Amino acid sequence: MKIVSLVFLLLMFHLVNAQTVTLQGAIDRINTVKDYKADVQVKAAIPFIKIPITKAKVYFKAKNKFKVVSDNIVILPKQGMSDLNEFLVNPKRYTQVPGEYKMLNGLKTQLITLLPSDENSEIILAKVYLSAKEPLIYRTVLTTKSSGTVTIDYEYAQSKAFGLPSKMTFYIDVRKFKMPKSVAANIRSTEKQRKTEENQKGSIVIYFSNYQVNKGISDSFFKED
Amino acid sequence: MLWKNTQNELIKITSKIRSYIGIGALTVLILLVIFAMQADGKTYIGFVTSTFEQTLTFNGNILNGNLIAFIIMQMLIVHVPLLIVLVTGDLLSGELASGTIRMLATKPISRTGIVLSKWFAATIYTLIMTLWMGFLSLFVAHWIFGTGDLMVLNPDGLLILPSDDLLWRFGISMVLAFLALWTVATLSLAFSAFAKNSVGPIVITMAVIILFTIIGTLDVTVFDDLKFYLFTTHMATWRIVFEDPFPTEDILISAMVLLGHVVGLLLLAIYRFNRKDINA
Repeated sequence: MKIVSLVFLLLMFHLVNAQTVTLQGAIDRINTVKDYKADVQVKAAIPFIKIPITKAKVYFKAKNKFKVVSDNIVILPKQGMSDLNEFLVNPKRYTQVPGEYKMLNGLKTQLITLLPSDENSEIILAKVYLSAKEPLIYRTVLTTKSSGTVTIDYEYAQSKAFGLPSKMTFYIDVRKFKMPKSVAANIRSTEKQRKTEENQKGSIVIYFSNYQVNKGISDSFFKED
Repeated sequence: MLWKNTQNELIKITSKIRSYIGIGALTVLILLVIFAMQADGKTYIGFVTSTFEQTLTFNGNILNGNLIAFIIMQMLIVHVPLLIVLVTGDLLSGELASGTIRMLATKPISRTGIVLSKWFAATIYTLIMTLWMGFLSLFVAHWIFGTGDLMVLNPDGLLILPSDDLLWRFGISMVLAFLALWTVATLSLAFSAFAKNSVGPIVITMAVIILFTIIGTLDVTVFDDLKFYLFTTHMATWRIVFEDPFPTEDILISAMVLLGHVVGLLLLAIYRFNRKDINA
């Protein structure tokens, strides 16, 4: 009996130590962030748009308030900034399906597929690659109704304790561009207008720095100017 | 004598009501565009960015003075020449129609001098119109909408230029716009040397601008080689100043073509006026 008890205890001890990182751990980290502001540098390589590297300040307040302040024109992806966190932190909105392990940039990650419960949800499917070592998301593949598929890669630095990335790389689908002639007529152009492919891939890299987390931001700040 | 005659020509221009029609119409047009953009500019921007709005968000002050100035220039580049022609198309033929050319010809100034003084006066009037357009479109728009990056609306996509990279571009585009308007002014002066009434040169110049612009916009291969030689093609060169990389060679070529037109048309006007039979 003593031997059986000992074996049981050893087994339990092993199980506790070998416990895999769960999505809930990542959610818990995200939930520690009530608000933040950060400096961002945005590098966009989008078909049909030529834009220099721009700087801005981003402000976030849980659950879904997000604002970008910049003297420049800043182009950000529509999906995957604050809406993804809002989706993740509410487990009632989806069903988790654990999947295979995959190496991402030399890091072991587990794929967790999230199936939305609401059939009218904007997010159709979310694939989350969670680190096997710590509760951090390293890749998200988001399929949405309006934006198609958006892949987001994350890198972490100082603010990883809050689950806040230092770099996010978005890979997005850009739809066929059609500029109204009345808006951009160019009588000088002697070239035939290039016929563009239906959809093209683009990327947006956002570098975050100088995070200020949970310092308090007023709700009124997020109201439209 | 040439300068004194130019001064006289400027006095004549300022004494005519039609000289103020151009400036007045330009002012009203620009103020209307500014008002429209202030009232509903975001819809206009949404019209442009709607292609991307399902995937991307555009943040920052897009509807700023630089964009308004760009839009105004784009809208007016076809129309301002017509306003200039109202004055410059009348310079020689108006004197013939009223008979004052005989008195002018008795002055101690050559016929070439008469044409040159009228051409200088037309140049100064064109310069004033260009500067006024620049002042209204750039400074007034900046005053109302503030500054910011410029979203250049091209048929094949959007180009965003930083605000600190724009003033010199607007400066060069104004120089090119002046060259374009100067060409039109000289063209109407040349037509004016052939005509005996005021209306003819004005209408013919307008017709030429409209015809050349239509040929330039037609996507038909048969006109492709011809387009380079049409001055209207080069009138829109101010727009490529806002391209990246900066197309120095194209701009220089277009400037040379426009200057060539100015010189050629001026020589034609001088040649024609020197051979003109001025009689009672």
